[in-house]
Amino acid sequence: MRVLLYTGKGGVGKTTLALASALGAARHGHRVCVLSSDPAHSLADALGQPVGPNMRRIAENVHAREIHAQVELDGAWQSIQAWLRELLRDEADALVAEELLAFPGIEELVTLRAVREVEQTGDFDVCIIDCAPTGSTMRMLRFPDALRIFMEHFFEFERKGARWLRPLVRGFDAGRLIPKEEFFDAFERLYEEIDDVRQILLDGDRTSARLVVNPMRVVVDETRRSFAYLSLYGIATDAVLVNRVMPESVAGGYFSRWLELEREELDAIERSFPVPIRRVSLRSKEVIGTKALEALALDLFGDEDPAARFSSGRPIRFRRVGGRTRMEIDLPGITKEEIEVFAKGADLHLRVRNGRRSISLPESLIGRPIEKVRLREPVLEIHFGNG
Amino acid sequence: MRLILYTGKGGVGKTTTAAATAAWAAERGLRTLVVSADAAHSLGDVFAESLGPEPRRLAQRLDALEVDARHVIEMHWGRVRAYLVELLRYQGIDEVIADELALLPGAEELATLVCVEDWAASGEYDLILVDCAPTGSTLRLVTLPEVVHSGLRWLLRLQRAAARIVEPIASGLVAVPLPSAEVFAEADRLFYKTLHRLRARLLSADTSVRIVVTPESMVIDEARRSLTDLCLFQLASDAVIMNRILPEEALREEFFRDWRDLQAKRLSEVKEAFAPMACLTAPLQPDEVRGVRALAAHGKMLFGELDPAAHLGRALRMRFECDDEGARIRLPLPGLDRKTLEVTRVEDELIVGVAGRRRKIALPAGFAKLEVDRVSYRDEQLVVSFVAPNASPPPAPSA
Repeated sequence: MRVLLYTGKGGVGKTTLALASALGAARHGHRVCVLSSDPAHSLADALGQPVGPNMRRIAENVHAREIHAQVELDGAWQSIQAWLRELLRDEADALVAEELLAFPGIEELVTLRAVREVEQTGDFDVCIIDCAPTGSTMRMLRFPDALRIFMEHFFEFERKGARWLRPLVRGFDAGRLIPKEEFFDAFERLYEEIDDVRQILLDGDRTSARLVVNPMRVVVDETRRSFAYLSLYGIATDAVLVNRVMPESVAGGYFSRWLELEREELDAIERSFPVPIRRVSLRSKEVIGTKALEALALDLFGDEDPAARFSSGRPIRFRRVGGRTRMEIDLPGITKEEIEVFAKGADLHLRVRNGRRSISLPESLIGRPIEKVRLREPVLEIHFGNG
Repeated sequence: MRLILYTGKGGVGKTTTAAATAAWAAERGLRTLVVSADAAHSLGDVFAESLGPEPRRLAQRLDALEVDARHVIEMHWGRVRAYLVELLRYQGIDEVIADELALLPGAEELATLVCVEDWAASGEYDLILVDCAPTGSTLRLVTLPEVVHSGLRWLLRLQRAAARIVEPIASGLVAVPLPSAEVFAEADRLFYKTLHRLRARLLSADTSVRIVVTPESMVIDEARRSLTDLCLFQLASDAVIMNRILPEEALREEFFRDWRDLQAKRLSEVKEAFAPMACLTAPLQPDEVRGVRALAAHGKMLFGELDPAAHLGRALRMRFECDDEGARIRLPLPGLDRKTLEVTRVEDELIVGVAGRRRKIALPAGFAKLEVDRVSYRDEQLVVSFVAPNASPPPAPSA
């Protein structure tokens, strides 16, 4: 199954292009599923028909579903939820407690889990995820890593701690606050599920990110950084989709300055991203409903299959040059000052602006010194010595 | 000290509007700070300046900062973090990973609130404007003190009790470092006192939310949902700002022929859905709005004679209740003619029709499984009661 992540700055038209791509891919014979992971869902708004938390058919060979943390929690993880309910029992009123169960990060978590579910049904060839705006998407992508760290270092400790404490506080009011053994089992299962998804996301043959952008400076600036974060987390971006390009027919008049600025940004887009660029112009009406979305897909992709892999590049590569190994990462829009690199044990620690990741080094590079770190825009090169 | 949060769907121009409000308020004599709370910061891009986690002076009386969760955690949570690092070291891992953990879900929202409260309490500003992350995250930000207030207070009480019991036993068995009294004192300070203050600050009469929209149906639909969420948490919104209205001159372009009617329709929709909040409008500018000067001019145009820091309108006091007797929505609608009243439920929306006009209300998640039971109008208040289907009690967690 092919997984496509549609992300980008808020308001650029992620939902619209994700749906257009889904309808376009269905026309090429794929069975497509669209998941919306933005807690502020707008699939239904863009389709002009209800979608909801259950998989619903929206067109021939296209199904869609909004991820609602609450509904997911009701369905799965009864024990995790039961514990949280206990925790909040006499503190918040019932209604607020219900809302609070959707604690920060939960949407990201349930979305990852939903991807796995879709894969396991075997009912779909393509899964398109309409992601939340950049900030939360980055959080979603680092979630599996954070969870792995937690599991490796804390989990057994907590579980043992709870086993100890349980008999000690039995009978006290505080006793109900210690999670039950089932809670830990549920948590462990959850971790395994998320780890499966991690494998899917990091596999460039299966998963590609698509960055949606508008030809405006603030948007392009942020999108470059998003591309860099995606690279850092090991996700391959295979295309940049430019939405809402002002049509030539409005040249002159009120929009003449806009057009000038747009042209500059379109050039900048072509220069900045090491992947194919596809464009579609602003429409004279709101794009709502499957018909309008299908027409948009044709303008955007022409005869191409929207589910195809537009670029075979990998975000992180190891390369042998002159008997030495170097690691390369695509980091557009990042300055040298925003990068920090060091190796520790079997891991390479990388900090790029607000993003951090530790990457497991291949066996052959463990213990090798880093000789040089060079930024040749947009590629960061890390040269390893023969130590 | 006036605190105003700007929220709205992504891309509607929240950052530009917040920055324009700040630049114009500072020019009018208020000591102003504008804070970017979106982890994907673009406040610096709008001012064409590079910003960091400490306020940077951009013009007379005008400061700006971009929240960095790591920075806030280091400032406020030094001992707790130090303890965690120690604990981690015991587990055989190093400081780098402790840093990682500082960015677990929720840390960013928490950091933003703590940062805002710090500057609000500092007495250095008359006005603080927060450019929030797109809608979903903003709500989380607002719920956070509530979550922590109710959840962690218990957890900490438990841990404190547990440390007292376990330490004597544990110290004889394993070398697990147990949190010291200072660690608890600091966690206590952060979680109870600071967050309690934060909550009080958010609910104070000096705090308002402003919802930014554009004349697009997708954007307005989302704004209505966030109004429901804000009411749910009793946050007062004083205005809705409609951005990017195409001016007469632009509408003359053949390409935008259909926009004229659509735009007028959306504007009246917004006025109706958000009354009695104020509704301000700003035209799409012929050039990009960038830099303090352009922003101040934009702010001047947006507010005209109004004080940008004033309470621009009255908050909509819609109340959601849920107890043993069921769930209810209370909506103040003065001077309503009962005969023209019509209430229908469509999917996750409640449609209230009064004298031929329709007001759509997004229902909160807790109401999703319920059905409309009764509609009444008393003391100028419309009350819509809900029951669970099959007349079983409502799904209240405490029931």
